[in-house]
Amino acid sequence: MAYLAYASTPWLTLLILSPLVGLALTGLAGALRLDDRTVKIGATAWSTIPLALAIVVWAGFNPNATADGQGVVQFVEKVPWVQAIRVDYFVGVDGISMPLVILTAAMTPVAMLASFNITERVKLYTALMFLLEAAMLGYFLALNFFFFFIFWEFSLVPAYFLIQGWGRRHAADADPERRRRDAALKFFVYTMAGSIGMLLLFQFFYVATAAAGIPTFDLITLARLGQGLTVERAPLDPVDLTLREIIFNYVEQLGIADVLGRYPLLYTSIAFWAIFIAFAIKLGIWPFHTWLPDAYSEAPPAASILLAAVMSKMGAYGMLRLMLPLVPDAAQYFGPAIGALALIGVVAGAFGALGQLGGDLKRLIAYTSVNHMGYVGLAVAAAATVGAADVAARATAINGALFQMVAHGLSTGALFLLAGMLAERTGSDEMGSLAGLRTTMPVFAGAMGVATFGNLGLPGLAGFVGEFFIFRGVWASLPLFALLATIGLIVTALALLRMYGQIFHGKTNERSAMPDVRIVGREFLAVAPLLIALVILGVYPAPIMDLSNQTATALAEVFTRVAGGA
Amino acid sequence: MGWFLQNAWLIPLLPLIGFAVITLTPIQRNKNASAWLATLLMVAATVIALGTAIEVASGVKIAADGTVAAHTEEKAYAAEPAADKGAGHKFEWHDPNIVRTIRWAPAGGDVPFTMGYIIDPAVAAMLVMVTITATCIHLFSVGYMAHDPRQARFFSFISLFTAAMLAMVMASNLLLFFMAWEIMGLCSYLLIGFWYDKNYADPNQITPRQAAIKAFITTRIGDVLFMIGLAWLWTEAGTLELGTGPGQVFNPELLERLATTTTGIGISAATGIALLIFSGTIGKSAQFPLHVWLPDAMEGPTPVSALIHAATMVSAGVFLTARTFPIFQVSDALPIVATIGAFTALFAALIAVGQFDIKRILAYSTLSQLGFMVAALGIGGWVAALFHLLTHAFFKALLFLGSGSVIHGMEATVGHDSNTAQDIRNMGGLRRFMPVTFLTYMAGFLALAGFPGFAGFWSKDEILADAFRANTLVWVTLSLASLLTAFYMTRQIMVVFFGTFRGHHPRQQPYAFISHDNHHHEAHDPHESPWTMTVPLVILALFAVFAGVVNLPFDGFHHLADFFGQEAGKLNLLVMGISSAIAIGGIFLGWLVYRNAFTASAEEADPLEQMMPGIFTVLNRKFYVDELYAATFGIAAAALARIWTWFDEHVIDRIVIETGRFTQFLGQVNFIIDDAMLNDGADLMATGTQVAGDRTRRATTGKVQDYVALAFAGAVVLGVLYLYLVR
Repeated sequence: MAYLAYASTPWLTLLILSPLVGLALTGLAGALRLDDRTVKIGATAWSTIPLALAIVVWAGFNPNATADGQGVVQFVEKVPWVQAIRVDYFVGVDGISMPLVILTAAMTPVAMLASFNITERVKLYTALMFLLEAAMLGYFLALNFFFFFIFWEFSLVPAYFLIQGWGRRHAADADPERRRRDAALKFFVYTMAGSIGMLLLFQFFYVATAAAGIPTFDLITLARLGQGLTVERAPLDPVDLTLREIIFNYVEQLGIADVLGRYPLLYTSIAFWAIFIAFAIKLGIWPFHTWLPDAYSEAPPAASILLAAVMSKMGAYGMLRLMLPLVPDAAQYFGPAIGALALIGVVAGAFGALGQLGGDLKRLIAYTSVNHMGYVGLAVAAAATVGAADVAARATAINGALFQMVAHGLSTGALFLLAGMLAERTGSDEMGSLAGLRTTMPVFAGAMGVATFGNLGLPGLAGFVGEFFIFRGVWASLPLFALLATIGLIVTALALLRMYGQIFHGKTNERSAMPDVRIVGREFLAVAPLLIALVILGVYPAPIMDLSNQTATALAEVFTRVAGGA
Repeated sequence: MGWFLQNAWLIPLLPLIGFAVITLTPIQRNKNASAWLATLLMVAATVIALGTAIEVASGVKIAADGTVAAHTEEKAYAAEPAADKGAGHKFEWHDPNIVRTIRWAPAGGDVPFTMGYIIDPAVAAMLVMVTITATCIHLFSVGYMAHDPRQARFFSFISLFTAAMLAMVMASNLLLFFMAWEIMGLCSYLLIGFWYDKNYADPNQITPRQAAIKAFITTRIGDVLFMIGLAWLWTEAGTLELGTGPGQVFNPELLERLATTTTGIGISAATGIALLIFSGTIGKSAQFPLHVWLPDAMEGPTPVSALIHAATMVSAGVFLTARTFPIFQVSDALPIVATIGAFTALFAALIAVGQFDIKRILAYSTLSQLGFMVAALGIGGWVAALFHLLTHAFFKALLFLGSGSVIHGMEATVGHDSNTAQDIRNMGGLRRFMPVTFLTYMAGFLALAGFPGFAGFWSKDEILADAFRANTLVWVTLSLASLLTAFYMTRQIMVVFFGTFRGHHPRQQPYAFISHDNHHHEAHDPHESPWTMTVPLVILALFAVFAGVVNLPFDGFHHLADFFGQEAGKLNLLVMGISSAIAIGGIFLGWLVYRNAFTASAEEADPLEQMMPGIFTVLNRKFYVDELYAATFGIAAAALARIWTWFDEHVIDRIVIETGRFTQFLGQVNFIIDDAMLNDGADLMATGTQVAGDRTRRATTGKVQDYVALAFAGAVVLGVLYLYLVR
């Protein structure tokens, strides 16, 4: 199996475990009754360890390796675990997960630096942050559905407690903490409920593959079956069925096909929608996005950063990891449908952001995230949609989507970080009464300017590269959608520029003339790397885009023909 | 030989370094150091640009492997122009003098996407124009911005702008072109909104910060369509590299294919791509219907208006169409280009007649002249368009800087209120106070009005000669626009420089004037500007007078056309005679109407207003286009924002919440049933336990790692609970 490159050193296990060690150390700090400031500094310092490990993996990752029709999964560790149901401890990185692993490891220290103004239950807070990081890293690295799903669900727990316990207080409300509790609950229940279909689906996949003689929860094997690539039951005993046929045979065997009809596409379509809904909720695809503005805006700054910058990417990653390769025929068929939803999200997010002007800054940023994740959804749809688009166009759409995820993580992370700093100084996220801050805090205004323009896709900053490559990919498959999506580009720019003007331009008023307006060293340390990364990747995107290119090209191959022959 | 071509990348890099150094280092605390650093770097860039142009003129070509050749006979590729699609000139893309690229990103599979620079004669000419005007404007700004507390920021932004403009000109592919193009848009935004805290007493008057957003968003409408055009072109061509080689965008086979492919909406692919690219031109060169941003962009400092909104950025739109001309030649888009250009030329010239703000008159004049260039491209006059682009850049930069000098002088009398200091009715007789400004302004005026012999005459005449041959309607429209140009410029000259000075008793503002400074200026007369401001005026005035000689319409004098390697325009004495008559007639008409205007006081009505008040009001209000857009797009955007927000909160989110409530309700029902069953049916419970036990037994596989996993999960949960409860 040349498509798996085993690791000699268990770097990925270390990577997943390192935040958990951080968690243990936090517990130790609690036992030793260390003061909060030490814990915060220690946590920030420790959070660079996963980053360092991620960089080690990045350095050792060969993005050009392809074998047997797919990008080589590298740093693989595969240990049989629960043999009865073929659950292996199986981790590895390929071109699709590598950029997101780097993003996760890079955003956590930033989030830690954004947490210094937390004063209540600091140790628990820090522990939850580490737990969240471990769950997200595990999610991007796990290649067995069992672990994949555990990490997926488990990431909700710390996020839920972070929003619920440390979110915003609304002094004007009768119960100042009601909104954040509601937001946390909605976020938790919605994501959880949405993934039930996916959970059931994989149970079904297991029994269906078992019926075909290869019971598996292995995502790589399932993906290869889905794409019609060779999978060996045992050495020199290849399976000559695709996942579509396996499912259909099993459905026939159960007699369901006699009732619902003998259309293989019907069953892969059910699978497709089960997967899509689970991930669309996470990604914030319209109309599954309404939890998102609530959760992003009510969360504490650091959680907003991780939610927007990393967690929403879990949805898009799931689509690329499961939805496209497992059921390519249905993805091809329903590409335009999810493209349409994504397109509505692009426009809805943009106008939603415009509707927040003068109101809540964090809600506005959240709506621009709906808009930006709409582009990602559009790219996924375009990569799959049946049509004449060549493999380069489809691969470019996927490259663009992954690059957009990283770029959006950086720019939205920076925006939420800066919004948090602003709220700390002005006492709330209301932008209505702010004006002229550029006069009193020019450096802050400059940083916010770079983040804002990075977010609205100014060339020279990373956001543009992702957007342009997405549009190039989408044009080849869904030209009308690409044309209509430009409305989002214009309206988001309008919303962000007016937001910026509202806060920073005009004459300074009493609320803007604050005593402490300078950026302190810690804040600078948090925001500067994000902005520098935005500039570097905007000027020279190859370091990130090369990571995904070959894997994306191999993945796109299946969509250049009609999958499943129907 | 070839050093300048090899190192041409330094040209945009030098101003970029200026931007970085001023922005990031403490040099920004010293205003003069920032200003002179930026200016000197521009001088250095100018030297390299001139060297590059000389090498290009002497025919140096450097191949991809580094071999230098001089005076080679190059192979020219020509796209076959359709029979009656132009002035009969054929544009041919020649192999550039140098192309240098690096791999930039993957384009799917093993195809690389490259970035780099390209130098050919058109690029060299643009580089010379941009660096010279930018240097003059930098120098002018040293004096003009001397008293502004944010001077360092100003120089950092215009350095970035110049870097972007130069990078765009040299771009080896259309994506880099677009990226630099957008960064210019950013600089335009930053510099229009340079006085971001300025308020006007009249709440309806557009402030700089609003004008900045308006400019950015309006041009972005064109830009995103341009971007879609690039996406389309990339899909068809495989790359976006400029050139005729395989996989490049002007590849003859590709153009052939684009011209013959018909899209779903009935036009050829070439036409579709050309129109989308031209949308970028419409936005950036402020052509109708996206012209509304440029006049309001005058809220920025005057050197910005000169550099960005007269000489360079706005002409980038024209350069874009010129650069991608092979695609236009095989498309059906050229008549549309010609129509929009000619219409804008006349439309903007009409509006200019009714304006009173010295800078806004020039802004509408810029719109009109850009319309000339666009129309020239539309009728196939590629050389004429570029020729006019180059001469216009010099004389319009001169006029803007001259107006800046005038405003600077006026502020000595009326104070720093732009509404008063820029109103031409408050001026008059300035020639006595500001002789250098006056003389140089006259040079710019005569060039713009197309007075025989001046730079603008030759370039405009070439456009008109092409138009005369290609399309009579375009020719008539442009001739009318020329007449109006001469007329409104004469009006401006008469009211500003002749007559009596009225600044000591300026017009009453309808709103109380908010003073930015409290010292009284009223006693002073306007004064001439310092040398840093007059020297650039003199340099640019020389260009305004003499720049025409680079391309006289006589045989043996088509230097520019020869330089570009394109077919030269033909001499047409009839058209030349008519244009001369139009220019002189327009000037005479202006003199006739305005010779006695505003003699008594600044409060007088405009003579044209006295003659035809209705029409004048329509012109003064710019045909109400702004009002129309506000009443349609503005209201629609606000309404859509409100509708989406409402729909989100009251429909979608409502469904989610109600679903949640319903599930909760089901849970309660289930609980009640379960409860009843638990109480009533112990049998059932026993069965349930049995089943659960079965399942548990199956899960307990007896393997050590399972227990380890469970223990670990349990430990994590307990740890969290412990921390949560202990706090």
